[in-house]
Amino acid sequence: MNGTPLPRIGIWVRESALYRSIVRHGAADTNRNRSLVIFENLFLHMHPVKVREKTLKFTHTYWLGAITISALVVLIATGILLMFYYHPSVPQAYRDMKELKFVVDNGVFYRNLHRWAAHLMVLGALLHMVRVFYHRAYRPPRQFNWVIGVVLLLVTLLLSYTGYLLPWDQLAFWGVSVGTNMAKEAPILGPPIRFLLLGGNIVSENALLRFYVLHCVLLPVALLGFLGVHIWRVRKDGGVQGPPGPASDDEVEP
Amino acid sequence: MALRRVFAITSILFLLVLAISPLKNALRPYRRFQGEYAKLGASRAKSMQAAKAYLQKPVAIHQIWLPEFENRVDRCTTCHLGIQDASMAGAQEPFRLHPGSYHTPKDFNRFGCTACHGGQGLATLEKDAHGLVPDAEAPLMPLKYIESGCGRCHDSEGVSGAATLSLGREIMEQKGCYACHTVKGHEQFRSEAPPIETMALKTGGEALRRWLTNPKTVDPNASMPKFQLSEKEIEELSNYIFSLSPSRQMADRIRAASSEPAGDVAKGKALFAVARCISCHTVEGKGNGTAPELSTVASRATPGWLIAFIRDPHAFNPRTRMPQFNFSEADVRNVVAYMESEFKDFEAPKEILDPIRVNQTLAEKGKTLFRQKGCFACHAPGAEVDRLGPVLDGIGDKRPASLEFGKRTDLPHTLPDWLEAKVQKPGSFQDGLRMPTFALSPKETQAVVTALLSLGAKPVPHAYRSVPSTRPSLIPGGTVGALMDKYRCLSCHQIGDRGGDISTAPLTAEGSKVKQDWLVDYLTLSFTIRPILTDRMPVFQITKEQASQIALAFETFYLDPSIPEDPFLGQNPASNDPAEGKRLYDTLGCRACHILGAGGGYYGPPLSEAGSRLKPGWVFKWLKGPQKWRTDVRCPNYGLTDTDALRLTSYIGTLVKSPKTSKTARGGAR
Amino acid sequence: MSSPMPPLDLIESNDPVAMPKRVALVRPDARATLRRVEERWVMTFPNLILREVIVFQIVVIALSLAALLFNAPLEGIANPLETPNPSKAPWYFLGLQELLHYFPPVVAGVVFPGLVVVALVVIPFAKINLSARPLWSGDKKQTRLWGGGAIVVLAVFFAAFNCWPIVIPTLLVGGAMFSIGGGGQGGRLRQFLVRVTMPEWIMTWFILVATILTLIGTFFRGPGWSLVWPWNMYPPA
Repeated sequence: MNGTPLPRIGIWVRESALYRSIVRHGAADTNRNRSLVIFENLFLHMHPVKVREKTLKFTHTYWLGAITISALVVLIATGILLMFYYHPSVPQAYRDMKELKFVVDNGVFYRNLHRWAAHLMVLGALLHMVRVFYHRAYRPPRQFNWVIGVVLLLVTLLLSYTGYLLPWDQLAFWGVSVGTNMAKEAPILGPPIRFLLLGGNIVSENALLRFYVLHCVLLPVALLGFLGVHIWRVRKDGGVQGPPGPASDDEVEP
Repeated sequence: MALRRVFAITSILFLLVLAISPLKNALRPYRRFQGEYAKLGASRAKSMQAAKAYLQKPVAIHQIWLPEFENRVDRCTTCHLGIQDASMAGAQEPFRLHPGSYHTPKDFNRFGCTACHGGQGLATLEKDAHGLVPDAEAPLMPLKYIESGCGRCHDSEGVSGAATLSLGREIMEQKGCYACHTVKGHEQFRSEAPPIETMALKTGGEALRRWLTNPKTVDPNASMPKFQLSEKEIEELSNYIFSLSPSRQMADRIRAASSEPAGDVAKGKALFAVARCISCHTVEGKGNGTAPELSTVASRATPGWLIAFIRDPHAFNPRTRMPQFNFSEADVRNVVAYMESEFKDFEAPKEILDPIRVNQTLAEKGKTLFRQKGCFACHAPGAEVDRLGPVLDGIGDKRPASLEFGKRTDLPHTLPDWLEAKVQKPGSFQDGLRMPTFALSPKETQAVVTALLSLGAKPVPHAYRSVPSTRPSLIPGGTVGALMDKYRCLSCHQIGDRGGDISTAPLTAEGSKVKQDWLVDYLTLSFTIRPILTDRMPVFQITKEQASQIALAFETFYLDPSIPEDPFLGQNPASNDPAEGKRLYDTLGCRACHILGAGGGYYGPPLSEAGSRLKPGWVFKWLKGPQKWRTDVRCPNYGLTDTDALRLTSYIGTLVKSPKTSKTARGGAR
Repeated sequence: MSSPMPPLDLIESNDPVAMPKRVALVRPDARATLRRVEERWVMTFPNLILREVIVFQIVVIALSLAALLFNAPLEGIANPLETPNPSKAPWYFLGLQELLHYFPPVVAGVVFPGLVVVALVVIPFAKINLSARPLWSGDKKQTRLWGGGAIVVLAVFFAAFNCWPIVIPTLLVGGAMFSIGGGGQGGRLRQFLVRVTMPEWIMTWFILVATILTLIGTFFRGPGWSLVWPWNMYPPA
């Protein structure tokens, strides 16, 4: 990149017609090209071309949002791999866990990664929210983004919870039974919601299928939708908001 | 630029860390095992070609898939590579050849491994496969309980080739486990324990106290286990038992018997030997059965009760295994006089048989206790429909997490360890537990735990179930039925799927086996058939008339349709050739076990008079395959052709009682 | 905006492009002031993007190491007939499950979580949350009355349900709140506490309660939801 001399092969690749058809800008060695890197790219253009230097400081955000999204990326990648081996049926679901562990190449690794990344994502989202609160970053113009954040937290919890049932082991079954029994207590709406969620009155194969569809299709789509809005709003609302300034400067009138 | 440097470092770490798992995957232990096995096999191979075959086997996961058997997948053979490889005899694990047994190695592909051994068949790592991880159903079955696997498919009480399992099931029946615990197939179980109403006239306060404290110290054969009872509770129970009164008729019988004059000790002693009480009872441990030890019986039962009981045991306890003997009034007095003179605990206090003066309050408490402790399950069966103890069906599949270990923090958390401790010392888990202690020997404990572990949570698929081959028990009604009940044939003999194991002769096909005349003779005066056994049937003093009735009934009822009445019918007439049969008898070596004339071995029954005892059809069928009739039999299966078997049969048919061998020779064996 | 406003008499043209016209009404008490803050801006690529990639890589490295070292829990196959004791929900619901121990299910399972979600949603719309005024900056008497009242009411309410894991942090936070009621003189901690606003006190209290409940539910609850030490939680396998 800038200043570093490229090896011959690098130059050859960079000048090839194929590469230039995909990446339409030159090496990112000028500010113009660095800008092009951002707005010529579907994924990166959620970022502004320039950011305030102070927002890059670690204590500005503790990178909690980035950590949460990284966990999400790991979750999607491993989740798709796991879907190849998983049948949402009884007792095959449980046996698939065993097959992952015993026979599938790297199966244990994927499953472990998925599980720990899920915990990290919940934890990261919670800490991110706490950080935003203490930095008072929910104040106008970011009120709506805070609300989206709350929705994202709920979707994340639901994703984690629906995934919890899928191994169909004792932990899963009773964890979900305990949780859904709580839902039953809600007046009027509780029992029908529980019935709808479980596809019956008890945690059964129907519940497994429903949780599977929720976990693999509905909730991820919802999460990605809200997440897109969330990140886009960060940019629209003026970038990430770090710690508040001195008290006198920090008054915001509603 | 620092950022770039950090990026370079994290990138390298990122790639390195992601490479670890594939690397681990490539170094899975089973790959190493398969390499070692190939080398070992090649070094042991007899030919170059065989050695090459070992080395050329691709490294792969091996599995036995049993879609019909709960969709089992056993991958044990991925590492245990030599279980079917004869050249791996004595090799180090995991390559060693599986020892041969009834089903192994021929049925490996039918049963897989985990059906008997437990563990996790799906796993390919030792720790997982051997079930030492929390997600495993259960750890590997310890080898001493391996026969529990047989019991998953074989429902019958006795399973040939599985001695431990069969013993365990027998003990469970005999110790009365089913009185308190429900087990499928044993719902009809009824304990032989006597009703307690006549106890007050049978025994005394001190004797009862000793009994309740620990029945085994009073009578080592006692089937009643030791309950956790405090002295206070024993007092209450004793008071309750003595507060009960028997029916008027029984009371009168006992009182009348106690006022009879004393009998003749010497005559009684003789009768005791002739009647062969120790066919079932023991005296100072010597004897054949598990009926009560008699050496101190006079110190726990009053003479009047003994007399009345021997005369009509079934009036006292309809479920007792004791037969009713045809003793005369005087005979019984004599036997009891003998027992009074010798079978006494001479160290016991004189008042051991004195009754208790009943305290009503204590008796009331005892009554409640009688229910609480579950005494009624054996002593008043039928009073309660529900069984006290937990259902035992499925106990063999219980997960350790669902077991209550209570005070036993010393135990490893596995099902076999729990069962072992529970069976041996139920009281050590929790104070006040109702389950009594059965004082089982280590071998019996092993057997019972094996039997318990064989009680799976769900039945094996139909294709794997072994239907018991024994026929249902058939007991004729009418006079013969009453006679068979009176003499309690089933206490010692097996008939169909029921009966005791004291006698070596099951009666299921007796009518097809022995000749009617011989049976009449035998019933009127029994003698020992096998010289190796000193035991024989007790002398019931059956009348000739009764014996004929019974023999006729046997001839009618206890037939095996597969045994022909006349085996020679429709066969080559040349096969009826006793001379050729004798030649076969000599060449096959029958003499090694059977006595014939002057010589022969002692293991099998003598054949000197076999012609007058056995029917030819039965002899023929026996010779064709002795193991079909008795699984534990040692008589070899020679694989005789029909013709040869018939020749032998015809020869044995000629071995009839000569007028010279008189009854004295027969009845002599004690 | 930084240029001085042009004199009104110069406005001649009606062409909005040539001459933009703006009218602003300014209340005297809210005179717009503008502070110019000199901020350095940097290019997103590579400064932010590279950092994001590094964060991602560190997360993956950490997760991979965790995945290599610790296996995800897996127990025996689900069995509706065999209830493990205790049966626990995932860790993030254990705070709620712990509450179930003290409150009727409707309250612990529906009312409390509902209140929490509603409270989170309304945070940015409540006026009190927008002001950055420290708790003790206003009328001290009023603050004492309301703050003290709230703490006492909460403590009494939860104590009535024997819910000590909430009562104790409530009293702790209350204690910290009142310890600086006198004024802002003292050590650094005091200096720091003096600047804490009311929403921050409430949120701190909430986080403390939630953490304590979750920790108790996760590590200190054994068979029959009885209190046990974490090392006695499950019998040794």
